Amino acid sequence: MIEPCHDVVCSFWSYLNQGPMTLTIILHTLIVLPMIWIYFDEKKRLERGDLPNE
Amino acid sequence: MEEKVSVWTSNRFWRRSATWVTGVASVLLIFLTFDSMAQMKMGSAKDIEKKIDRRIPSPVVINYTIDYKLDPYRGHEIPIIGGEMRRPEGGIKSAYEKKEKFFGRDDYSEKEARELIHKGKLTIQAKNCMDCHTLLGNGAYYAPDLTKAWLDPTWETLAPAYNGKEYAIAAFLQDPPKMAMHERKMPNLGITKEEAKAVVAYLKFMSAIDTNGFPRNFGKIKGAVDARK
Repeated sequence: MIEPCHDVVCSFWSYLNQGPMTLTIILHTLIVLPMIWIYFDEKKRLERGDLPNE
Repeated sequence: MEEKVSVWTSNRFWRRSATWVTGVASVLLIFLTFDSMAQMKMGSAKDIEKKIDRRIPSPVVINYTIDYKLDPYRGHEIPIIGGEMRRPEGGIKSAYEKKEKFFGRDDYSEKEARELIHKGKLTIQAKNCMDCHTLLGNGAYYAPDLTKAWLDPTWETLAPAYNGKEYAIAAFLQDPPKMAMHERKMPNLGITKEEAKAVVAYLKFMSAIDTNGFPRNFGKIKGAVDARK
């Protein structure tokens, strides 16, 4: 399932780059997943109404 | 009943998201910059002895034969330095074994080769080759792309008459109108014999740089200078 590095000079990033788009998908997931957590965290706070005045 | 809340119109949500995205992107870019720097580091003569591939090989590659072949493993053409060998995981790689004479020698030391290609680079900059040509993706497309110009089959056809490909290219550079082979004639730029030798060394070195298959389909073009015919 995990392919060996295809790059000339191998690095952490080239191992993540398993095929076309893979590196992009991994990096976007890294950014988007915590945003989902931020969304629900904010929702919880708004429902509790414990937000400081903006 | 619980009050309906709107996260999408909350300033705090957007501020936290923007902070997170900007922060992660900045850290990523810093890491990727260091990765690119490692990729761009020039290899040494020791790497070639140990048959370690580098994107930018040591200038001593001018002592070796250079070819450009399709590597099915990586899916594009790669420079093959000093003959090819099979990669254990599949595909091909440089063997760094087969040498060839370059201006009568195949024993340029790392220092000599580096000085030669440095002089070639200075000449290329001084004569503004990029006004018409492209080198490694930079420059114009009025004249043929020089990134893999050393491998242009046209020079192979001229090589026997000049006693070698490098002599043919050097003769052309010293008086291009005399050897014109294209409607867009290259002007005489007053390149001296020594400068021409250095430029040819730079062209040979540049053709050994692994550019991820750029320019595309180079091997399939009959010869950049007569590709339009």
